[in-house]
Amino acid sequence: MNRMINIVLVESSSILTEGLIGILNKSELKCQVTICPSFDDLEQILFRKKYDFLIVNPSFILSNPKYFKTLKSQHNNLKTIGLIYSWYDPKNLYLFDGLITISETPDIIISNIKKLLEDTSENDQNALQEVLSNRETDVLKLLATGLANKEIADKLNISTHTVISHRKNISQKTGIKSVSGLTIYAVVQKLVSIDSISD
Amino acid sequence: MFQTNNIYITSDLKMSDIIFNNPYLLHLAEHFGMNVPVKDKSVKKLCEENDLNPELFLTFANLYNGVKYTPKDPLTHHDILNIIKYLKNNHKFYTDEIYPNILRTIHQMAEINDHKEMALVPRFFLDYFNEVAEHLEYENKVVHPYVLELYEQRINPTSTRKPQIYSAKEYQEHHSDIEDKLNDLKNLLIKYLPYKDDQILRRKLILKLFDLENDLNIHSQIEELILIPLVSEMESQLNKSK
Repeated sequence: MNRMINIVLVESSSILTEGLIGILNKSELKCQVTICPSFDDLEQILFRKKYDFLIVNPSFILSNPKYFKTLKSQHNNLKTIGLIYSWYDPKNLYLFDGLITISETPDIIISNIKKLLEDTSENDQNALQEVLSNRETDVLKLLATGLANKEIADKLNISTHTVISHRKNISQKTGIKSVSGLTIYAVVQKLVSIDSISD
Repeated sequence: MFQTNNIYITSDLKMSDIIFNNPYLLHLAEHFGMNVPVKDKSVKKLCEENDLNPELFLTFANLYNGVKYTPKDPLTHHDILNIIKYLKNNHKFYTDEIYPNILRTIHQMAEINDHKEMALVPRFFLDYFNEVAEHLEYENKVVHPYVLELYEQRINPTSTRKPQIYSAKEYQEHHSDIEDKLNDLKNLLIKYLPYKDDQILRRKLILKLFDLENDLNIHSQIEELILIPLVSEMESQLNKSK
């Protein structure tokens, strides 16, 4: 795991935010933490960037669980963690994907976060490696020569749906989304020659 | 680690102090027609001189600082003219200044770096620039006149002209395209394009792209979080009065 992990921390107490950030920074996880002192600003923060984790003081959400559920459904790759430092009714805590309790040692906190990271679907795991699979390389080569998804599917004897899923992975691995950008990438990686790309 | 060192801006602060804190506010001031030097005038004073609702300025300025600001009195259709003025000037800044400037840097870099893949980059950017220009043109020619027409009807309801329909959804799709290609170029420059004596130009270029991305991000937040809600409000007000 050497990917940057983006975290939003919704907590108003600086003792807690500073403390948790200290623990994260000392661990081997590479985290970028955005502090959000109130729940009102959260929507705007989530709108700006893609985050992996939302660590939140449960009292913010217990007053409005419906809003929290909507938020989760809008950002389905976002894992939520409750930051627990007083007693909450356990039936309310099922809304979270994981929990951090302040009595836990740093090791346990970090290992719980890592566990949640491993839970990410196989697709995401695959995307964490930067090297393209053989099939993805095939798709990229054809894409760079100017073929459309349907034409690529016919050439490789796979469904258009599969082509699209390969393309998603290619973009995740390279960080490049547009066809013209991927074409330059394919030339750089010597997957296609500069003469073979259509204009 | 992300931290915002930028201050929460209020109207009693001096304009010079907030510019020292975040010099990118120069863009904002300029788009609203406030030019440096600003002497020791407060934000409030400068807003008055420029016929600008201070609450509107504070909403924008705090957005530049990454801080959410809730205006004391909600923004209304009376702010529309100044919002459009800002957006128009910002468009002009993109098309006349920043994009051509980046394009020049790319050409200079392609002259020094003669790897053949580098030759594809000016073309990539030019195509992208054209797409952006087309989108901005669409906003200038379709969206802004529509908003101004709504505004005219709102202040003068007797007018019977019917504004044409435009779709806020289409608007947002355009935006994500613009951001994607910019991000692609950053990835190519930082991770992939082979190096050849281009260190200084490449660094300049990357930093310019980050600045542009940040500016575009603020621009679309202003449209999506401030302009579009006001437009919907004017639309529903007008529908009610019919």
